[in-house]
Amino acid sequence: MTAPIEVREPATDEVVEEDRPWVVIVWNDPINLMSYVAFVFRKLFGYSEEKATKLMLDVHHKGRATVSSGTRTEAERDVHRLHSHGLWATMEHDK
Amino acid sequence: MALFRRPRLFEPAGSKGFQVRLAPEARDWVVGLADELDALLVTDTEDTRRLFPTAYPDDPERDAGYQILAREQLIDDRREAIALMRTTIAKPHMTVDELAAWMRIVNDLRLVLGTRLDVSEDDDDLDVDGPDLESQLIYRELGYLLSEIVDALTTTLP
Repeated sequence: MTAPIEVREPATDEVVEEDRPWVVIVWNDPINLMSYVAFVFRKLFGYSEEKATKLMLDVHHKGRATVSSGTRTEAERDVHRLHSHGLWATMEHDK
Repeated sequence: MALFRRPRLFEPAGSKGFQVRLAPEARDWVVGLADELDALLVTDTEDTRRLFPTAYPDDPERDAGYQILAREQLIDDRREAIALMRTTIAKPHMTVDELAAWMRIVNDLRLVLGTRLDVSEDDDDLDVDGPDLESQLIYRELGYLLSEIVDALTTTLP
């Protein structure tokens, strides 16, 4: 018979932190072509040409754009897909 | 009327994907660069920094966890794309997946070269007296090639 497993209850603060959505941010860089960035947004997220172009222009002119949001797992998956396409993406808790 | 329409490098060709108008020596050249990238992937140098970005800039501990899982996958993805590129070296047509592999690797090549050249937003002009003129020219050629690939693949989006 195995010993009972001690279940660690998460502290309240941890629950609150994990429940907050994560946002995925793409940052401007001088190398990626604008047409390439807009294409990747359309391909990965299924965005319309208009939305993808707006996000790409935000990246270019404002230095960053939030391209998706969700749970930590979802955001990490999106960051990974963007990294796989050579885009400079990070994730952080929504403010 | 298309009197002044220049021929595209990748022309949509229905179920065959894209007709490729790249000269054999141009394909050899790009695949040769991809082979160099393949060898670079396992090195941890400043040149490859942009291929493995940080996911959690404010949380080094979480980022370390991400890197452990993601880095290997990012290397494998790129190796698969390079292997697919090699199979297309003499094909008159490329499928969407094959051209997408070209796109990702050509972009990666620009990231490595652009990092090495320390490219900035204002670097539109060629520095003809610079010591890295050849790299600048390669970077530009790859930019043209990537732009043509993106134009072609954009026709496949819904």
